[in-house]
Amino acid sequence: MGILKSKLKQGLVHAVLMIGMAAALFPFLWMALGSVKTYKEMLLPRFFPTIWTLDNYREILTRVGFLTAFKNSALVAIPATAMVLFTSAAAGYVFAKYHFWGKEVLFTILLSTMMVPFTVVVIPLFITMNDLGLVNKLTGILITSLCSTFGIFLMRQAIMVVPNDYVEAARIDGASEFWIFSRVVIPLVRPSLATLAVFTFLGNWDSYMWPSIMLRTASRQTLPVVIAGMRNLYVVRYQIWAAGSMLTVVPVMILFTLAQKQFVRGMTLSGLKG
Amino acid sequence: MSFRLALIDYKLLDPLSSPWVGLDHFQTIFTGYSLFWTAVTNTGLYALFINLGTLPLAMTFAYCLSNVVRGRNLYQWALFLPVVVSMAAISLLFRFMMDPSGILNHILKLLGLPPSKWLAGILSALPSIALVALWKGLGGNIVILAAGFLGIPVELYDAAKVDGANAWQTFWHITIPLLGPTLKLVVILITIGSLQAYTSAIVLTNGGPGRRTFMISQFIIEEAFSNFRFGLASAAAFVLFFIIFVVTLVQIRMMRTEWEY
Repeated sequence: MGILKSKLKQGLVHAVLMIGMAAALFPFLWMALGSVKTYKEMLLPRFFPTIWTLDNYREILTRVGFLTAFKNSALVAIPATAMVLFTSAAAGYVFAKYHFWGKEVLFTILLSTMMVPFTVVVIPLFITMNDLGLVNKLTGILITSLCSTFGIFLMRQAIMVVPNDYVEAARIDGASEFWIFSRVVIPLVRPSLATLAVFTFLGNWDSYMWPSIMLRTASRQTLPVVIAGMRNLYVVRYQIWAAGSMLTVVPVMILFTLAQKQFVRGMTLSGLKG
Repeated sequence: MSFRLALIDYKLLDPLSSPWVGLDHFQTIFTGYSLFWTAVTNTGLYALFINLGTLPLAMTFAYCLSNVVRGRNLYQWALFLPVVVSMAAISLLFRFMMDPSGILNHILKLLGLPPSKWLAGILSALPSIALVALWKGLGGNIVILAAGFLGIPVELYDAAKVDGANAWQTFWHITIPLLGPTLKLVVILITIGSLQAYTSAIVLTNGGPGRRTFMISQFIIEEAFSNFRFGLASAAAFVLFFIIFVVTLVQIRMMRTEWEY
């Protein structure tokens, strides 16, 4: 009876999860199908188009400046990720392994800034960027994403677990501080770095509010800004929206599929910070 | 700096001549500017909708995900997929799915339900954008809660079974109290996230119809960057920060007394 019951339970669990999976995937499927449909068929309750077309993609790639936007997004997201990895690991190492006056207070202040919503800092930040002459420049976006409080926290937690003996042993052998950091500590916290990398990359890649405020010239805008702008550029031409969304979403989906473990780990860890 | 900006009438082109106006901006948004209250009400309702919708769904899926024997990675992949993609693209996608003659109304018809006006309806617009945010964020909450479920020791359930507890009693007296901290965290994360909602409201409805989906963030951004009233916008931003601060504190307090054993 116990076996039957557990089989029944597994069946039920699978059924619920399949419903959830369908609800999560259906909009993406609809988007993929919509991107190869003609306008006439977009609103019909039919799954597959009668006429398959790639015109929508052609339109996106040639007229919207999609490739430029893609390049702009990459120009922000890739250097930002590289820098955040370095600054977070370095600051995390200092907070985890060094002792200095006021460390606890400093760390608490740092953590409490995580609670401040971006909308609160956006105005002073914009004024600062304006003073520096960085409004409407990609550098203005990049320069604000070189450090991450969450990253510092994450790396501190990871480096704290590294045994002190390793650091001490290297120091006795006469290794320089930078050598200890880069050759002893970093290799041991690689999983956390990978998690931070995917999270940072994605955060920058998907970011909308700040780029939409800063970047006014079309040729300098990042992908989400261009995509969101399509709702006015192509009023109700849904098939073009679908193609644009596809091109935005598919690279991220591929990245996620390759690095699912890091994403999920990052999510549960970002839960821990609260 | 944000607070100082709220107290002056900032002139972007000539900052040094910005006059000091004290608490005037706060007074304006609290008494003379009904749009701010519209934004506060909308944002509050929106956060409430998302919480009420997410919790039962995320609990159900998280329970299933932590109990499933085979295929956990595949299910997790699918449920988590909406979390990683860009909100701007998702908003476009839902905007055409929620067209009055779009696929969602076809699905409703198939289920024998009356069609909805979705984003165009005065009453349905806010729940609709809440639904999009719920759909997008659900996977993250599921993953956090599933980790919580997996952290509950199996022995407790065995002990309850020996004592003759039924499924409901087990759920109410073991799962909920032990999941308490995780649940609290999820509620806080959802609330803080939805109080800051911006992208979806901008792309899906741009605050309409009739300001029914106008959010605090949009108020701040529009005042600052369309109307160039930086002082007023900073005051509103400060109020938003205060609200988030208080909500977080209250939630931490409330749930601690309820569930700490």
